[in-house]
Amino acid sequence: MEYLRTLRNNNVIYSGTRDTKYNQQTTSDFSIRFVFSGNERYNIGKRQLSIHTDSFLILNKGTQYTSTVESAIPVQSFGISFDDKFLQDFKNSWQLKDDTLLANYKRPLTSRYEHEFDETIYPFKGDLFFNVNHLKYHLDRGLQDELLINEYLHHCLINYYQIFNEEIFQKAQRLNFLNRSTKIEILRRLNLAREYLYTNYNQNISLDELAEYACLSVTHLLRTFRQAFNVTPHQFLMQIRLQRAKDLLKNTDYPVNEIVNMVGFDCPSSFIRLFRDRFTTTPLKFRQDF
Amino acid sequence: MKIKYIPIFTENIETQARFFTDNLGFEICSNKNILSAEECIIIKTNSPDIFLIIARDTGFDYRKCRIVVSTEDCLRDYHSLKTAGVFFYNEPHYSPLGLGAEFMDPSGNRCLLIEERSYNNLT
Repeated sequence: MEYLRTLRNNNVIYSGTRDTKYNQQTTSDFSIRFVFSGNERYNIGKRQLSIHTDSFLILNKGTQYTSTVESAIPVQSFGISFDDKFLQDFKNSWQLKDDTLLANYKRPLTSRYEHEFDETIYPFKGDLFFNVNHLKYHLDRGLQDELLINEYLHHCLINYYQIFNEEIFQKAQRLNFLNRSTKIEILRRLNLAREYLYTNYNQNISLDELAEYACLSVTHLLRTFRQAFNVTPHQFLMQIRLQRAKDLLKNTDYPVNEIVNMVGFDCPSSFIRLFRDRFTTTPLKFRQDF
Repeated sequence: MKIKYIPIFTENIETQARFFTDNLGFEICSNKNILSAEECIIIKTNSPDIFLIIARDTGFDYRKCRIVVSTEDCLRDYHSLKTAGVFFYNEPHYSPLGLGAEFMDPSGNRCLLIEERSYNNLT
């Protein structure tokens, strides 16, 4: 389903199937990018950010990027761009309420802090997953009611800030540094490491390579990554691989052995053991039951 | 939209639950907290899609929800009901169970519209 909807308040929603490389583009507004099949790689400066069906990407207004479709199957892209005024109204109204997520930031997430960190990959989960799927479902079927569409967009922002709060702010709080600027700098580097794992999950990644990309020493990376994310980089990588294997089992007919290689495992038996430990079922049984 | 839960408020939820299980043959299903009550028990009735919520009566009568309507898409139904002139006590809000909003029927009874979401199945 291909469409580009520009609402009267200048929020824009794009849905379409992509199978080519796109030239350099610039985001005109704050945007959230998803894929509902396959994966898409965004190049922002030197950073490479690959999104799959289990993740999404935030692009700030004015960011220059190129995007490349990488998967064997066509990529179903879905993107939402929020008009500045809509975004600002949202922030103003929600920051004023005592019981909202944004208010939970207390003081720390100034707009500078927020702007510095939001442009990265996040897990596509929770209420955002449900609301975006509902929105896409209705738009695919020709929904015209802009009030309802904007209601979904409003909730997508609530959900995004909840995820931002969990993924950035709460993780920054866990870092054991008294100096605020040190904490921010370490979190920025850890986010680079996390992006690298999300993007190159199916490659043989060494700790040295990861540490170099994140501009941290190996020991510093291991210690701070665990503090922030509660898992080691290796455990984080295994979680991504298992999740992506699960998606492939659910959505494709690839044989299990092929999926093992596609997501970066060397050995089928260790994949099956890890899959069973995490999802309490075997890959074959999971596919049969689905 | 369909009626899924019927709340029953009581001072003694155990006695009330036993009444339904022992006398009517219903089964205790879970104790998930749907009405933000301090304690509640969900009872499965003979009708597969209808459950009773036995919740502790806290005395705040005006807050009591009389019926729980289940929906697959809370925002869609919230929007269509609001457009039809139905009064909502609050905007859709999130809880560990999903997304819900409370509205008033023509007689002033409080009803809950809820979209239950299986967050655990996403990971």
